[in-house]
Amino acid sequence: MNHRDALTYHPAMSASGGMEKPVERSLREFLGRLERDHPEQIVHVGEPVDPRRFEVSAVLQHLERRRKYPLVVFDHPLDLTGAPSAFPLVTNVFATRARCALALGLAAGDAGLPLALAYAAREEAARRDGARWAPEPVAERDAPVKAVVRRGDEVDLRSLPIPRQHEMDGGPYLDMTCVMRDRDTGAYNTAFLRNQFKGPRKLGLHMSPRQNWQIARKHEAKGEPTPVAIVVGHPAFHIGALNVAPFGTDDYAVAGAVAGAPLRVVPSATWGEAFMVPADAELVIEGLVPAGVREVEGPFGEFPGTYGPQRLRWVVEVTALQHRRDAMHQMVFSGHPDTWVLGSFPKEGSLYNRIKGVVPSVTAVHLPTSGVGRFHCYISLDKRVEGEQKQAALIALGECDFVKHVFLVDADIDVFREEEVLWAVATRVQADTGVDVIRGAKGNALDPSQVHDTAGAKMIIDATKPLDRPFESRIAVPEEALARVDLDRLIPPDVQGRLA
Amino acid sequence: MPRIFWVTCPDCGKRFTCHVELRHAQWRLRCPYCEHEFRQEDSPRIDD
Repeated sequence: MNHRDALTYHPAMSASGGMEKPVERSLREFLGRLERDHPEQIVHVGEPVDPRRFEVSAVLQHLERRRKYPLVVFDHPLDLTGAPSAFPLVTNVFATRARCALALGLAAGDAGLPLALAYAAREEAARRDGARWAPEPVAERDAPVKAVVRRGDEVDLRSLPIPRQHEMDGGPYLDMTCVMRDRDTGAYNTAFLRNQFKGPRKLGLHMSPRQNWQIARKHEAKGEPTPVAIVVGHPAFHIGALNVAPFGTDDYAVAGAVAGAPLRVVPSATWGEAFMVPADAELVIEGLVPAGVREVEGPFGEFPGTYGPQRLRWVVEVTALQHRRDAMHQMVFSGHPDTWVLGSFPKEGSLYNRIKGVVPSVTAVHLPTSGVGRFHCYISLDKRVEGEQKQAALIALGECDFVKHVFLVDADIDVFREEEVLWAVATRVQADTGVDVIRGAKGNALDPSQVHDTAGAKMIIDATKPLDRPFESRIAVPEEALARVDLDRLIPPDVQGRLA
Repeated sequence: MPRIFWVTCPDCGKRFTCHVELRHAQWRLRCPYCEHEFRQEDSPRIDD
């Protein structure tokens, strides 16, 4: 299914979120399905590797240079003491849209706009009917993550294979989902945040001024520490964590809706029922962020593919580590497709729906990996009147502060094919009239080109054809000729397969 | 105003980036390459 079919596909999704298969509720079940049904998606590295010495990243970088993005399981990584770790390391889980579609119970072929719209439909379902998707408490005996529980001095994070990813990283880093709970509403909030290893029971914590940052600020204002749970190894939960729901929305409900079944939760080891944690994760690290404490943290290779500098950041005093028996550790390969894909489709569907509400002629929205899945936004529309394309761009910029450059194209351009978008820019834009710049809008602190910490410039490139004057059409081979000529008869498929 | 500065570790000689909030602050910087902690005034070179 290509993105053009999404318009007819969308209504069916409103009920089921487009789910073709039930979503696995654990990382190991998902890996099992890939091994069984999609073996091309997964590879094991059986030799020992040392994550402290960049060997995990080196394997991924080698693959990337060959344009290969499989999910990689390192079966025998070393831990932070240099000894064999009991925890295999899984990474690149989210490095392709097809694999994310599979993780959400869709077909690999639905990886374009249908994936984005399915995500948005499920996110909206959680907003509409939070009670339906409220997390489901389970007993400890039914919670795999409770198989091993270590508290206080029993915890030693050095047992984990925590990688150093890039050469200037300040140390080994966790980069998975941090959960905090708002003290006013009780809503759980999830976000991918970086945690620098600082000791057996101590981590650094970087937060941008977003929702978890707000939660921590509220605790600090009362002079209280902020509880945090770091959740590792739970594919649908991690994808659900990327939702763009407003502050106060319970992300546990959204995670359930995204997965198609309420999130199973269990009392935390530290705070009991006052703070529930996902029962089906591979492992959960719990800790307290002390009020008013900052230490130097970083640098860290961040999502834009550049470093976030060393700066003063929060710390986490670890209180508990709980995990499955035979638990696996997971990392996201930061600043690579593993983060870029994750950053894109959860926002695309929401943007599409928001634009559609005002500009019905929109046909697709895409945040390409070349724009780190966040900074560039391609919007296609079947423009009916001049101006509506700018309206669409302004909605995208207003809706998502990650979006920095908006590319507007006509509906004949497939926004999931970057060369088509750039062709439109090359042939339908005159820079003196087709480019708008908005100064001083909220941007992203990790954008290295931004001079101010929170504000930056936005750009709209209008590559749509003008309606108010004749404009040359795109060349085309007649469809009738394409239908008449059978390529496979003229050039057999085996010959096609070896052509340049 | 640049948001970062480059600092050279006095121990291993390698360079890394820090946020401007740390410039002229009393915090000891930590070299990501050799883990040496040092005061800015001990760095042989700071580019800001």
